Amino acid sequence: MKNNYQSRVYIVAVIVIGLLLIFSIKSLSAATPKPLPYFQDITITGTITDKDGLPVPGATVSINDSNNGTLTNMEGNYELTAPAGATLVISYLGFKSREVAVDGQEEIDIQLEEDVQALGAVEINAGYYNTTDRERTGSISRVSGEDIEQQPVVGPLEALQGRMAGVEVEQPSGVRGVASSIRIRGRSSLRSGADQPLFIVDGVPINANSINSVGPFTNSSGMDPLSTLNLSNIASIEVLKDADATAIYGSRGANGVVLISTKKNKGDQTQVEAKIYTGFSKVSNRMDLMNTEEYLEVRRTAFENDGATPTESNAPDLVLWDQNRETDWQEELLGGTSPITDLNMVVSGGNEQTSFRLGGSYRNEGSVFPGTFEYNKATANLSLHHKSKDRKFVLDFTANYGYDNNELFYGNNFVERAIILPPNAPELYNEDGSLNWAGGSWDNPLQGLFRPQNIKTNNLISNLSVQYNILEGLQLKTSLGYSNLSSGENTRFLIDSYDPSTWDQVNLRSYHNNTQRNSWIIEPQLVYNKSLGNLNIDVLAGLTLQDNKNSFLTFEGTGYGDDSLVGNLRAADGVRINSDEKLHYRYAAIFGRLGFDWKKKYYLNITGRKDGSSRFGLNKRIANFGAIGAAWIFSEEAFIQENLPFLSFGKLRGSYGTTGSDQIPDYGFMDTYEATDGPGGLYPTKLYNPNFSWEINRKLEAALQLGFIEDRINLELNWYRNRSSNQLIGYPLPAITGFSSVQANLPATIENSGWEIALNSLNIKGDNFSWQTSLNFTVPRNKLVEFDNLELTSYRQTYRIGEPLDIALVYKYGGINPETGQYEIQDVNDDGRIDFSDQTGTAFLGRKFYGGIQNTINYKNFNLGFLFEYINQDRPSYLVEMFNSPGSYGNNSTQILNAWTQPGDNTNIQQLSQSIPSLLSYFDVLNTDLMITDASFLRLKTLSLSYKFPKDILQDLGIKALDLYLHGQNLFTATDYLGLDPQGGQVIPPLRTITSGIRITL
Amino acid sequence: MKYYKIFILALACTLQLSCEDFVEVEIPDDRIISESVFSSDETANSAVKGIYNELYQATFSSGFQTSVTVLSALSADNLKATVTTTNLLEFEENEIFISNSYNLGIWSSAYNIIYMANAVLEGLRDNSNISPELNEKLTGEARFIRAFTYYYLVNLYGEVPLVLSTDYDDNSRKTRNSSSEIYNQIIQDLEIAAEQLGSTYENGERLRANRFTAMALLARVYLHLEEWELAEDYSTEVIEASQTFELLAHEEVFLANSREAIWQISPREGGASQTNTREGALFIMLNNRGSVALTEDFIESFESNDTRLEQWIGLFTTENESYYFPYKYKVKNATDEISEYSMVMRLAEQYLIRAEAHARQDKLMEAIEDLNKIRQRSNLSAQNTNDPGINQDEILNLILEERRKELFTEWGLRWLDLKRSGEADAVLSSKKPFWEDTDVFYPIPEDELRKNPNLTQNEGY
Repeated sequence: MKNNYQSRVYIVAVIVIGLLLIFSIKSLSAATPKPLPYFQDITITGTITDKDGLPVPGATVSINDSNNGTLTNMEGNYELTAPAGATLVISYLGFKSREVAVDGQEEIDIQLEEDVQALGAVEINAGYYNTTDRERTGSISRVSGEDIEQQPVVGPLEALQGRMAGVEVEQPSGVRGVASSIRIRGRSSLRSGADQPLFIVDGVPINANSINSVGPFTNSSGMDPLSTLNLSNIASIEVLKDADATAIYGSRGANGVVLISTKKNKGDQTQVEAKIYTGFSKVSNRMDLMNTEEYLEVRRTAFENDGATPTESNAPDLVLWDQNRETDWQEELLGGTSPITDLNMVVSGGNEQTSFRLGGSYRNEGSVFPGTFEYNKATANLSLHHKSKDRKFVLDFTANYGYDNNELFYGNNFVERAIILPPNAPELYNEDGSLNWAGGSWDNPLQGLFRPQNIKTNNLISNLSVQYNILEGLQLKTSLGYSNLSSGENTRFLIDSYDPSTWDQVNLRSYHNNTQRNSWIIEPQLVYNKSLGNLNIDVLAGLTLQDNKNSFLTFEGTGYGDDSLVGNLRAADGVRINSDEKLHYRYAAIFGRLGFDWKKKYYLNITGRKDGSSRFGLNKRIANFGAIGAAWIFSEEAFIQENLPFLSFGKLRGSYGTTGSDQIPDYGFMDTYEATDGPGGLYPTKLYNPNFSWEINRKLEAALQLGFIEDRINLELNWYRNRSSNQLIGYPLPAITGFSSVQANLPATIENSGWEIALNSLNIKGDNFSWQTSLNFTVPRNKLVEFDNLELTSYRQTYRIGEPLDIALVYKYGGINPETGQYEIQDVNDDGRIDFSDQTGTAFLGRKFYGGIQNTINYKNFNLGFLFEYINQDRPSYLVEMFNSPGSYGNNSTQILNAWTQPGDNTNIQQLSQSIPSLLSYFDVLNTDLMITDASFLRLKTLSLSYKFPKDILQDLGIKALDLYLHGQNLFTATDYLGLDPQGGQVIPPLRTITSGIRITL
Repeated sequence: MKYYKIFILALACTLQLSCEDFVEVEIPDDRIISESVFSSDETANSAVKGIYNELYQATFSSGFQTSVTVLSALSADNLKATVTTTNLLEFEENEIFISNSYNLGIWSSAYNIIYMANAVLEGLRDNSNISPELNEKLTGEARFIRAFTYYYLVNLYGEVPLVLSTDYDDNSRKTRNSSSEIYNQIIQDLEIAAEQLGSTYENGERLRANRFTAMALLARVYLHLEEWELAEDYSTEVIEASQTFELLAHEEVFLANSREAIWQISPREGGASQTNTREGALFIMLNNRGSVALTEDFIESFESNDTRLEQWIGLFTTENESYYFPYKYKVKNATDEISEYSMVMRLAEQYLIRAEAHARQDKLMEAIEDLNKIRQRSNLSAQNTNDPGINQDEILNLILEERRKELFTEWGLRWLDLKRSGEADAVLSSKKPFWEDTDVFYPIPEDELRKNPNLTQNEGY
């Protein structure tokens, strides 16, 4: 909200500066002043409208060659006193400027033409200030609300996949509500999971770390704290990448900044907009597995090869179970269809001084799993804008509230079981409808359905920003933010999730998680703009005080007497607190920005911040960060315009600066004891190091922006190089130290460099037909540049100097031993044993290159858009996550049918066997280069088709706009990867979703 | 103009707060700075109590399937796995993968306990805030726990790094110390503990180390070092404390604070939801075959009238198979009223230690007397103390067999006995198809070798 409020300030500032500039240029260039036919002043009134006849509020109407001017009001009206012979200049962001001679007229209405392709058209949120594509000196990517809204997903990050160069968004699985990860310009820390950028929603920094969860579907990634945002209410998401854009965030900016802005209302017309869509989701991929006949044959062969006898404990599939049953477990367990319904309603209105936007939404989803597990989300949002009559005082308020209730279940190895359950495993249900436990010979995979897991999250993010224009060009403003997230999870283990024969032993239990996050922020700022001839100056100085309190409580209740009581702690025999953590983080800073431009041609931007953070020990608490950015719009130069006329826009820019990373746990520098589970005891929970300090990230960037054919084609080419040093990590220690890691700064430097290309092309532009293509493409390179004495540290078997961080050190596969039929590993150093010193291969597991291509085609009232995402990468084979060797219990890929039988066989599957030595050689081979497979994929991420009813038809019905649309998500994936998902491995792949909807505006 | 004034006021207020002061945060109530832990008797005592509590949780000592009790019994010939859990099967078949996570668990949890003991010792050293008597007592306890843990490390892994401080920088590069260095430290710690600790149990609970606990472990350690006389002396001290210890009927031995117990770990340390032993929860088969069972070979080693067969061993049958399970602990359900503690050391072992020490010193008659104490409790005929035909080797063999039957599934003693007596190779090579003589030591976990360039791997891995 602050951002938006600032945006207005900046519009005003830009306009004022623009006016001054225009006048000064004019006065300089006017060698021969025009004779003025009339000198007397007259009062002129009129309305400024767009091509649809809608009023344009806030447009600048100024008098050429003078300092006078005004802005249009909410109805687009203006009033101005000017000499009868003057010329009016009307300008507004996103429209082409017009000049109109007064010629003594007292009423002048003007229609402005939209400047669709103009680089100055779209305002870009840079956090503390706003800019445009034309003027920015930093690297900022933007995804508009329209593109986000088109995607029927739950979390905002999911909607960014494939849309931005240099931004890697990964969805860990298709289970709704789990946290996606986002990584901006590569991994810059030796710690894994330390890539989290700073998230700011409407000016309020949000703790976007995932919310802890206990369930098998959710515990590895955690829950997404942003899932409570209403995607339809997001105006834009900007990602700040380089030093110029991020240094103003100081110690929090090293991993980039994600700015989420919600929609605001600036008009004064009362308007109601309703949107509803409904559809369904399904799991988008299956594996090709053996059928019963093939599977049992494999198993029998394994026992024959071993000379072993199947027994009920080592082979229930052969001894106890029906040899003719055939079940497609993927269909049974993951084959469901999940319905989706999403409703959205917004009312906006206001008058000249005050406007508001009030909205709400509701979403309901089912589940692709068996059973009825729903997802419900409700949101409400309000934005309020007020300014005093003299326009000196401006107040903005936004509040976004969201609630979601996610029903899942504690499905242990649920996805894994869908793959590895023998196809002849027993029926799921008995005839009476109860779960079938087949005499204890298996764990019924549906047992998890009777362990319901429920996660409820409430999230409020609000911001109040007040601004006062002290003098012309000088404003004082203060932004006050508050956010509160509370999330509660409970998981109940009910009696039906156990084999009835064990019921007398069962201890009914429940697990509970409680997460509370409270933060407030105060940011008073002073903004000053001044024009001195051709030089424009923007100054910003501010102070940040931020306070975050996080608490996390987990506990379990045990010994419930009956199903109906499970979860009610009063009915529990015992309650055990598993963790009770309270974290307090405080942050204070002074920051500033100095922006200069000369003739709107040369730009210089200097930003800096002095930071203090409670995460560091006393001596290391304060640090300085800063950056300098510059841009030259060379297409404004006469020699370029003469020699390269096809170039409509050309800009060179670059930046260099430092940012820090404090993405480490609170209290890390303190030596603390905590309470043991048992009564009366204290124990040390970690090692400590009082001297650790910031990680420093130095970012360098150079970029070229070009526009061709009146900016119909825009190309941006970026090169960046970020070097992150003084690595702050949980340094892994051998267990003999008592713990597995300690927080420490290491003399290591990591370099991320790369090329980013963004291309925007309006291929065809006609009255009835247009076709636009946006493409982004990134070639990242990640390298461990230096690491003193790596060989002597615990990282010696994790990293290699000169290699990327995301590598696996692997054995060299040595084929299949012709005598034993088992896998062989090459003993590279010939020391007679196979250990990590033989892991000499390095396999890169990160993205080699990636990109997205979006096409938008308009034909009359139809609009078709589709986005493809492409990622080129390797990842470990699905086998690495399966753990069943060829011939052991459990279904497998049909590849197993090609197992080794005799010397000379050309195969990479060892002899079928169920023995331990064979399993061990299988474990070894999982760490070889053989298991690194191509996991590149091309995915049709989003497809949308919409139809806009013609206005003339609607007008008679009193409807302003009516659209029908069809959206599809993850419709199709092309990949050579054999597992369930090339991105997540053996997890539920992102769901394939198809929805259709209607949007109506009254 | 009034807004303007408000802003100036707000700005002035905020600037007043210096940044540094603002970012100072207080310690939350869920943790204590270690300096304050060792600033009062009460919290220092809590830090030591914390180690005992953590022993119930620590992987190697918990009694669960990841503990020494189970894994070493699998490595020897007492237990077999009844599930296809690879981590267990690798121990049973003596084919331990270097990245076996249970193996890493033993190693790292043991060193975690050692860290805690070292932290207590450092916190208490020359600390005048703690009353001298308590300081002596707590120091003695920490030393005892450290010695106990090293005893297991040196027996399971052979040469291991001897870590005696909390300096992680130094410790992270430690090399392996010789077994004799480890044993020297163990003896030094135990002797100091025996000297500093009193003879009573606090509140009648046999949960915290006292002088007898230290001496009982000394007796065992001297057996390993073949210092027969010292082993005899220390076990005698314990045995003769008859006001504290006595042999009980089988069904009473494993009860909480039983008079046979020298040291127990209370399941209460697991927190409110855990009120009975993990051994009971793991071993007892009520409706299914669990995850481990006693081997047939072990069951066959009993004489048919041995009361332990009935008292300490259970039978579970399915349609076509039957399984024997250790039934020393009778309570399986974790939430039943607390009645048993997990046994770490008890008097019966001290008799068998002394029997062995006697036999080694050729005091055969005394050896047989001690052995008979245990045999007779199990309704077995006494060995004739005057049997002229019996020789030292035969007696030692009888003792080894008796130890197997008496101390099975207690803290891996069978595995340690086989190795100590040099019988491991002879006994196990016929029972285990993949047995190699280098299997007497577990592998140093691969993860450790990765992280510490100065560590070396054991032979055979």
